[in-house]
Amino acid sequence: MGKSEHAAIQAVLAGDKEAYGALVKQNSRSVFRVAARITGNEADAEEVVQEAFLRGYRKLEAFESRSNFSTWIYRIAVRCALDKMNSRRANETMRIGSDDVDIDTVQLTDRAPDPERILLSGEIAKVRESAMHALTPMERAAFTLRHLEECSLEEIGEALDIDTNAAKQAVYRAVHKLRQRLAPLKVNT
Amino acid sequence: MKHLTEEELINRYYGEDAPEAGRHIDACSECASALASLTADLADLRSPEPSARDASYGEQVWSRVAPMLSAYERKRHAPWRGLWLTLVGATACAAMVAGAFYAGRLWEHRQQHPSLAHTASPAREHVVVVLLSDHLDRSERLLIELKHANPDDSQIVAPLRDEARSLLQSNRKCRQEAEKAGDPALTNALDHLNEVLTQLADEPGGLDAAAITKLQDQMRADGLLFEVRVLRSRIPHREALATPHLKGGTA
Repeated sequence: MGKSEHAAIQAVLAGDKEAYGALVKQNSRSVFRVAARITGNEADAEEVVQEAFLRGYRKLEAFESRSNFSTWIYRIAVRCALDKMNSRRANETMRIGSDDVDIDTVQLTDRAPDPERILLSGEIAKVRESAMHALTPMERAAFTLRHLEECSLEEIGEALDIDTNAAKQAVYRAVHKLRQRLAPLKVNT
Repeated sequence: MKHLTEEELINRYYGEDAPEAGRHIDACSECASALASLTADLADLRSPEPSARDASYGEQVWSRVAPMLSAYERKRHAPWRGLWLTLVGATACAAMVAGAFYAGRLWEHRQQHPSLAHTASPAREHVVVVLLSDHLDRSERLLIELKHANPDDSQIVAPLRDEARSLLQSNRKCRQEAEKAGDPALTNALDHLNEVLTQLADEPGGLDAAAITKLQDQMRADGLLFEVRVLRSRIPHREALATPHLKGGTA
């Protein structure tokens, strides 16, 4: 951890709340990026960013200076995003059925002569998003960290508070499910 | 040829495959095709980057978060406070341990004091008294049997001899204790008893009628039985001391 990070944390714990501002400003964008990737929704990502920094502030006394604050707050953000996904999923049970309709729609579009155009279309993006929605929050988070954030399995395990093998299995399941969801599109290509 | 599983292909894609998987793909067109398909699928799954936040984004987040935070006011002197609390806690623990130790010592002292004042080794004396009492009882019975024994009755030889041998051991112990205690009367009586017991136990050639008669005569002349009874008469006041041991030990 850099001296400035360490000094800022000590200042915060000594009562200087404003010192936390420097840590927030320094890490906001990376926290937003991972939150947006996991939640797939910028509005949710904004809430995750806010919640992550609030949690970080409350837990700052437990922060071990051996690690970087950026890594620490990143993990908190991943867990906040996972929590957000779980709560959202609980309210979206009906949404999955409507996503299936989207796939059918895209299949019809897929009959167009140029499959490359379809792959690049916005509708494909919708299918991709619906496929991501079909994953469990844990699978989605693990896949996002692996595929988009390019984290190692160990890092994913630490961020999601699961062991490395569980992280690996979550990634396997996610890839398998996503490919199954995308398979109908590939048939005609 | 065993083809790679989807999981092995995924490992290959993320560069975590075993070396043999790579060699297999080089040699197997089917698995190479499967890997190409997986690669294409995963490429499609690269969602577009979320809209980038500009440099002022951190300020915006902080402006939203800051009002919800309360300063660590009470933690201003946290390190010193923690040290102070640690010291107080450690001192309190040390005081409790010391107090418990002192109380234990005091209790132990109060428990031991009367006994120490009474005698240097009362327990040992109790044991000796019990041992002596038992020894004199058995010796008296043996001497009575010897006194009334029919020298011609060979059946009594073995029991007398065995009991005498057993009593010889306890007689030696009692004599040692009598000598330590500085009790010459008891020492002399036990010496006398030792002679009779030795003859009964180890009479050369065995106990015959003549030997038994001789011992009976010697016993009468020496008044050994009377002497043992006198010694036993000294025991009652010692039995009072020995009572707890009799109850809890050999009784």
